Amino acid sequence: MAENNCANPVWPCAMIGAVATLSGFSDLCIIIHGSSGCYYYPKSLLKVQLFSTLLLESEVVFGTIDRLYEVTTEVAKIGRPIVVVNTCVPALIGEDLKTVLSDIMATFVDSPGFCGNVEEGAAKAFVAMMPDIVADRSGVNIDGINPLDLFWRGNLYEMERLLDLLGIPVAVRFCHDTWENIRRGVSPVTISANPSYASGVGKSLGSMLFLDIPKTIDQCLTQFQNINADAVLAERQRAEEQMFYSCDKYLRKYAPPVVAIAAQESYAVFAKAMMERYFGSDVPVVFARNRTTMGVPYSVNSAEINAMIDEVNPDLILGSSFEAAACRNAAFFGITPPDRTHVFVAARPLVGVEGGLVLIEGALNALINNQKKRKFLNI
Amino acid sequence: MPENTYETRMAGCALTGALSVACFILGATVVVHAPQGCVHQMFSMLHATASDSEILAIPEIIVSDVSDCDVIFGGEECLFDALTQAATRRPDLILVMTSCVPETIGDDCGAVCAHHPYADRIVYVPTSGFLGGSAKDGENAVLTALANRAPIAELIPGTVALIGEKNLESEVDQNYAEVERLLDRLNLHVVVRFCRNCNYMDLMRLGTVACFILRDDWVADAGKNIGERFGRPVIPEMPRGLSECLVFLRVTGVACGIAEEWIAMAIAEETAYQNSMLAKFANLSGKTVFLGAEPFVGTTSVAREAITRLGMQESVDGFLIRLPFYLPIGVMGVEKMLYLWRRAVNNG
Repeated sequence: MAENNCANPVWPCAMIGAVATLSGFSDLCIIIHGSSGCYYYPKSLLKVQLFSTLLLESEVVFGTIDRLYEVTTEVAKIGRPIVVVNTCVPALIGEDLKTVLSDIMATFVDSPGFCGNVEEGAAKAFVAMMPDIVADRSGVNIDGINPLDLFWRGNLYEMERLLDLLGIPVAVRFCHDTWENIRRGVSPVTISANPSYASGVGKSLGSMLFLDIPKTIDQCLTQFQNINADAVLAERQRAEEQMFYSCDKYLRKYAPPVVAIAAQESYAVFAKAMMERYFGSDVPVVFARNRTTMGVPYSVNSAEINAMIDEVNPDLILGSSFEAAACRNAAFFGITPPDRTHVFVAARPLVGVEGGLVLIEGALNALINNQKKRKFLNI
Repeated sequence: MPENTYETRMAGCALTGALSVACFILGATVVVHAPQGCVHQMFSMLHATASDSEILAIPEIIVSDVSDCDVIFGGEECLFDALTQAATRRPDLILVMTSCVPETIGDDCGAVCAHHPYADRIVYVPTSGFLGGSAKDGENAVLTALANRAPIAELIPGTVALIGEKNLESEVDQNYAEVERLLDRLNLHVVVRFCRNCNYMDLMRLGTVACFILRDDWVADAGKNIGERFGRPVIPEMPRGLSECLVFLRVTGVACGIAEEWIAMAIAEETAYQNSMLAKFANLSGKTVFLGAEPFVGTTSVAREAITRLGMQESVDGFLIRLPFYLPIGVMGVEKMLYLWRRAVNNG
């Protein structure tokens, strides 16, 4: 396949990433400067209030500035802060949109779809936010909460729970907070739920993904006086024993599962390490959605990902239902969007102690159910 | 459609509409000249629809992936490469469409397609994202382009074609089953679903059918073209609501040359069928409901007919009923709506 070509791309564009990130601030008005075609997808994914200039062809021919001014002025009457997210065509025609917005005090995020993927859009949104780091703001910022993440609500609750157990207050939640709160300044230190959505704000103390917890707690102990890590570490220890127990029981009956993983880089690396540690798995296929890292190649090309998965005939796929649909013989547990194999309405974490348990529990149930199905169908 | 109205602004992009048809042609390959993100949106929607419909195979869309470099230096080479990639699969047809980005940077996509070695099997539909019109325009453009490739042919009695089924509608196959049920009363058979999970050769049989049934007026432009091209009657929409089913039987029967006594018998059987369906909701008789806002034109009239047939009343003080956004087709559609009413009335 030629360098650029891609079949069925599995990951959204930068515009979606910027809008999703900003949509975590409930007191913001987000305006998508583009056509209704660009507006519908984030609207349907995020299910929050979004505004748009809903551009027409004539406005592209004669310039989009008047339309942007019209919509922004109207939205400004609501009295909430405004962020304008740019899309491909207005970005190409070279208008000075920032100047228009300076009159209205709106923030501008130039993240047209052609400039990259979701994470690049999220990064552009964070740069545009420009939060001030306030040295005496107590606590930590929670990082890596993004509504595109299948686990974002569960991750947020689990992060807050663990930080509460540690005795560390939460300063700002990137991104499930208010714009007003972020403008008060943020803490100089940050702990992540999903490092692929890094805000880049302050000093990172690490992530609370299960295997990272001890190291991150060490960092917290260095950073904060008078915190107590015993409860969290004890809980983690119990969870680990439970995971070994349950996986050992599985391994008494079955061989270690061969696993294929296709997910955001942080979750992909985490899932691989978990499967190796608790199942002794062979993980011959790992793809990251957003970037190449730690020996994990990048791909959003569905044809390429599916071909590799097909080649290794895995027992378990940890990824999205795009991969699950292409390899129906394997067991599946969703760790990256979309997951259309089930209806999900409750909050589930992938981070923290409970997140580790959720992953292992999900993998075990998927594998056991698939074994039963194969036995029933005599495969 | 007049410029600068809310409807015009909310009309979606032509690429999405075009893909909603093009991706459902078996044996064809779809190439989109666009940044990846545009195609991801459609792929994601197709995946969601396929998951809903328990369809195993997801259509493959090859995207040229116009990047930030290509918007500066031009993306024609990317398109040519994508076409070459598509041609390696030796498809019956390559459908090429574009987003707003190549249109803005001035790529001559028509010339790239015309000069490609596989040109004779390439159908180029210059959708150009929102710069090429609305989602409706895109859908009509693909239907028309494909219909224009189908040869004029001799009529095969007793056959019909469905035009413009909404492939992204979650109940699309249930709607098809309902139309098939009605047509069966007239001993008519759907031989072409233009275009839903049909292969290219079957689509090319379009000119053999006795009449064309449009999904609704969304595809009226394509329907007009198809009717004129083949000189056969066009039924403007699949029936919504109870009385429309009876009208549909009559109009379609006449269009296909079915004998009057057969049509009358079909209508009598259908009327009895409707009455037996309504009997399940007899406990709604005498209840008062409030229909609220009409989400989609035509829904309220269908609902009011059901109110009358069931002996219910309508008042602002009644149980608030949410009307379905897209009223599904035929008696089945009314039945599904009445289940929701019953739930609301029984549970407050």
